[in-house]
Amino acid sequence: MATNPMEQFKVHKIGPEIEISGINLSFTNASLFMVISAGLILILLLFGTREKKLVPGKIQLISEILYNFIAKMISDTAGKKAKPFFPFIFSLFVFILFCNMVGMLPYSFTVTSHIIVTLTFALFIFIGVTILGFVMHGFKYLRIFVPSGVPIVLLPIISIIEIISYLSRPISLSVRLFANMMAGHTMLKVFGGFVISLGLIGGWLPLSFSVALTGLEILVAFLQAYVFAILTCIYLNDALNLHH
Amino acid sequence: MKKFFALLTFLSTWETNIHSAEAGMPQLDPEYWFSQIFWLIIVFITIYILISKIFIPKIKGSIDMREDKIRKDLEEAKTFKEQAELKLKEYNSLMETAKLDVKKITSKSRQKLNEDMQIKKEQIQKKIDAEISNAGIEIKKLKNDSFDKVNLISQDIVSNLVKDIFGEDLNKSSIEASVSQTIKEYERDKQK
Repeated sequence: MATNPMEQFKVHKIGPEIEISGINLSFTNASLFMVISAGLILILLLFGTREKKLVPGKIQLISEILYNFIAKMISDTAGKKAKPFFPFIFSLFVFILFCNMVGMLPYSFTVTSHIIVTLTFALFIFIGVTILGFVMHGFKYLRIFVPSGVPIVLLPIISIIEIISYLSRPISLSVRLFANMMAGHTMLKVFGGFVISLGLIGGWLPLSFSVALTGLEILVAFLQAYVFAILTCIYLNDALNLHH
Repeated sequence: MKKFFALLTFLSTWETNIHSAEAGMPQLDPEYWFSQIFWLIIVFITIYILISKIFIPKIKGSIDMREDKIRKDLEEAKTFKEQAELKLKEYNSLMETAKLDVKKITSKSRQKLNEDMQIKKEQIQKKIDAEISNAGIEIKKLKNDSFDKVNLISQDIVSNLVKDIFGEDLNKSSIEASVSQTIKEYERDKQK
């Protein structure tokens, strides 16, 4: 019988309950998969940088491609000034990518399918970028809400729209990733359930859908990590180079 | 997206209603929110520090090393090429000067040869001239001598003839005079 497709998102604690001043900070399956993803990243990078070869091996090539890919992404969207944030964008992209990819394994847990995780990232980026903008430009940073070349009559309306769009950045950023991951995994689970419930005769159709969806979801897993990172770069660009 | 989201929420609640399990999305259950934030921060800070302090410098190092090596190799190749071109130029100029030298040497030696030949010719000519003049002098001498001898012989013959025919000696001086007179006449006739 098909189980609840939302069951895969359930968080349960592993090991003892940890409580600090009344806040439950227990180690959970979500935490476990964060650690697993981080571990995989560190293993990849460790093997990728173990020896400095002039002609790189396979793993070294992967880490160098990753490096060049993110470096190019940052320089294309945010320019030279964003170079100090390269390690952060790199870690962010790689962490989200690995969480998404690890989540694609059956019976695993998808860390990024939880709104609280993506919201934490998004709020951190939002607050960080806002502070950065004010530090770099002072109160001139508020000009981001006043686009140039707009008739004065329209300015109040445009400004309000700009402010709303600016404030909704963390929500859109976090919900995009979270909803994509959750929807994909739910869909996979639902089709998986159909395979069982339709049995040997009718189950082939949802099974083939499942296979196709798995391919699609792997693409989405990469794409969402990329979108998250590139939007972070764009927000950084807004704060670093005040264009308006 | 929002419609899809709502549909999904609806679907999930519908499913849970069927199975009469816990309601809604586990994501919205705040029980483990702080735990998730806490562990996320710990894990992310850990990998951030490791990546920024260890791995990125290492990757950058190996990429830079490769680029350096490529640039150095290219520069080296360029200098080698320049050197080769310089050497070629040097060789060409050397060949040019050598050719000129060869030309000079051949023309010089030809001139010298000509001069030498001229000198030798002149010397030989002088020698020949001297020999010819010597021979001329000798011939003249011989000619004169022969005249004198012919004179003497003819005087002898004349005196002997006169003695045989006339039985007496004529005085020498008259004989001489007549002989020389006849010879002179003979030569005059000859010249005529």
